[in-house]
Amino acid sequence: MDVLSYLGNGFATALDWHNLLFAFIGVLIGTAVGVLPGIGPMSGVALLIPVTASFTSGLSPEAAATSSIILLAGVYYGAMYGGSTTSILLNTPGESSSVVTALDGYQMAKQGRAGSALSIAAIGSFFAGIVSLVALVLLAKPLSDVALKFGPAEYFSLMLLGLCAVSGLAGKSMTKALMMTVFGLMLGTIGIDNVSGVARFTFDIPQLYQGLEFLTIAVGLFALGEVFKTILERESNDGELAKITRILPTKQDMKESTGPIVRGSLLGFFIGILPGAGATLASFFSYILEKKISKNPEKFGKGAIAGVAAPESANNAASGGAMIPLLTMGIPGSGTTAILMGALIMYNVQPGPLLFDEHPQVAWGLIASMFIGNLMLLALNMPLVKVFAKIISVPPKYLIPIIVAISVFGVYAVQTNTFDLMLLMVFGVAGYFLLKNDFPLAPLVLGLVLGPMIENNMRRALTASNGDFMIFLQKPVSLVFLVIAVLWITVPLLLKLRGKKVLVNEEG
Amino acid sequence: MNKTFDRYASLVSLIIAAAFMIESRNISSSAYGSNVGPNIFPFGLGLIFALLSLRLFYETFKDSKRDGETREKLDWKRFLIIFAAAALYAFFLEEIGYIVGTFAFLLIGFQTMQKGKWLSSILISALFSYGVYFVFVQVLQGTLPGWPVWFGM
Repeated sequence: MDVLSYLGNGFATALDWHNLLFAFIGVLIGTAVGVLPGIGPMSGVALLIPVTASFTSGLSPEAAATSSIILLAGVYYGAMYGGSTTSILLNTPGESSSVVTALDGYQMAKQGRAGSALSIAAIGSFFAGIVSLVALVLLAKPLSDVALKFGPAEYFSLMLLGLCAVSGLAGKSMTKALMMTVFGLMLGTIGIDNVSGVARFTFDIPQLYQGLEFLTIAVGLFALGEVFKTILERESNDGELAKITRILPTKQDMKESTGPIVRGSLLGFFIGILPGAGATLASFFSYILEKKISKNPEKFGKGAIAGVAAPESANNAASGGAMIPLLTMGIPGSGTTAILMGALIMYNVQPGPLLFDEHPQVAWGLIASMFIGNLMLLALNMPLVKVFAKIISVPPKYLIPIIVAISVFGVYAVQTNTFDLMLLMVFGVAGYFLLKNDFPLAPLVLGLVLGPMIENNMRRALTASNGDFMIFLQKPVSLVFLVIAVLWITVPLLLKLRGKKVLVNEEG
Repeated sequence: MNKTFDRYASLVSLIIAAAFMIESRNISSSAYGSNVGPNIFPFGLGLIFALLSLRLFYETFKDSKRDGETREKLDWKRFLIIFAAAALYAFFLEEIGYIVGTFAFLLIGFQTMQKGKWLSSILISALFSYGVYFVFVQVLQGTLPGWPVWFGM
């Protein structure tokens, strides 16, 4: 079968009434998550994993995996839409990737052009979503074919590259980011070793034999961590909500933003593919690019529509691009995709080159549903943007305790023991203190998810080479990955030494 | 950035790294059919973690002049009440049952966040705790601790 018939099957899966419903719920919740400043895409996805797990419990394993990944991916790209709404209307970005949007978006809102800004953001996001999907369809099969040829040594080096890339770009201090990555890997070794069956670091605690559950840690670090931050720091948003007068953009606006949308989408997509460089960097770069090539750069920061169109397209395209390494090679490039990967593994679906052969329903169903989800978002956002903007006025009084209750419910529903609930609380507190002191959390989750796979591949490669570590350097592909990994870490360090400012990704 | 936190964090992580390395030496060093045992990977991780902790410790001494930022007021009282309530709720969930526990936790949480509006607080807590229990246990056939035994229901 060729790609088109696979895609056709994917659409058949995605158009099932219950999958349509899941996609709809996903993008709806995602938009809400993007609008609310307390929860970002990562905690939103983490919180919803157990909820979707219970909703899909009646389906067959593969169908359940498809439906829940459709919903979770919907939350992910829905949040990208929602984030722009509050940056434009309130000057408070709901998540980090729409920080740049606020620069020009809020100015436009002040000038009474909030409606055009919002609709251009929605149109740009939609276009970018479609661009990244087309590229995903075209690249998925060839890339996974290449990845299939990799042996354990190549895989080990590739995953190492993924980890280095994410640590190199996350947060202010690379030492701290690397520490979090290694700590994640260390946490991943707890439990029964699945090669030799030996118990490691379990200290005879029965709950530890199956290892630390990824879900508990992700919900604790991201959802509870952010909740505790809100409680302690009394965040409030008393900003004036800008009025929305006309919703459709003018012809002039459309003309001015076509170029930025196209450039933003392409740039965002390629940045999204790179591990470590997520939506936040993509939106920054595209904004800078537009400012550089613009005929009148002085208009930026004073309400230029290109300053809204480009970053919004870029961050959406990046979230689509980030799906490519996840689906084709099984390497998540960001915190959110690491969580999606954890969700897939929970359903016993291993993302990676074999995904397209073993679970075509999951892979192509997800791709097709992203197309439908983007259409839904466009349809939802244009007329309902006023309703979504109201979500921000949900009083934190009710929101905060309910998020804690949902976290507890979610972890208990999947794990059914109080040990994990206590672990949840511990990681919640740890998440708050770590984040407050610039220890990025995304690398930890990434390490935890990739840890067992890195170790397996390392040991398989070493077994083949009789314990000789040189095998990673002798295989040419593996050597290339390792060299890139080393460069990824050292180049920013060298640049810093020379006093240059290095842009970092601050997604969580 | 808080240098003191970083310094303590680097010391704590150094201890963790050492414990990790010592503990990994107790793991069997060979696996059937392979001379690469389950102990190599954890030991290597412990080693890297120790080196990184030392590096962080060194960094906290390097540019220490940026200290003395304005400290924002943190609402510790509010946090401690909610956290204690959440921890107790999680710990005793199986004894007191989901509905009672969630209702009590939410009510305490709502009132700690902001006093007043008792009626809507009670209503929302009751709706949420019973609603989640009903949908999850009755409709989706999931498992949650029901009413406590001593409740006689």
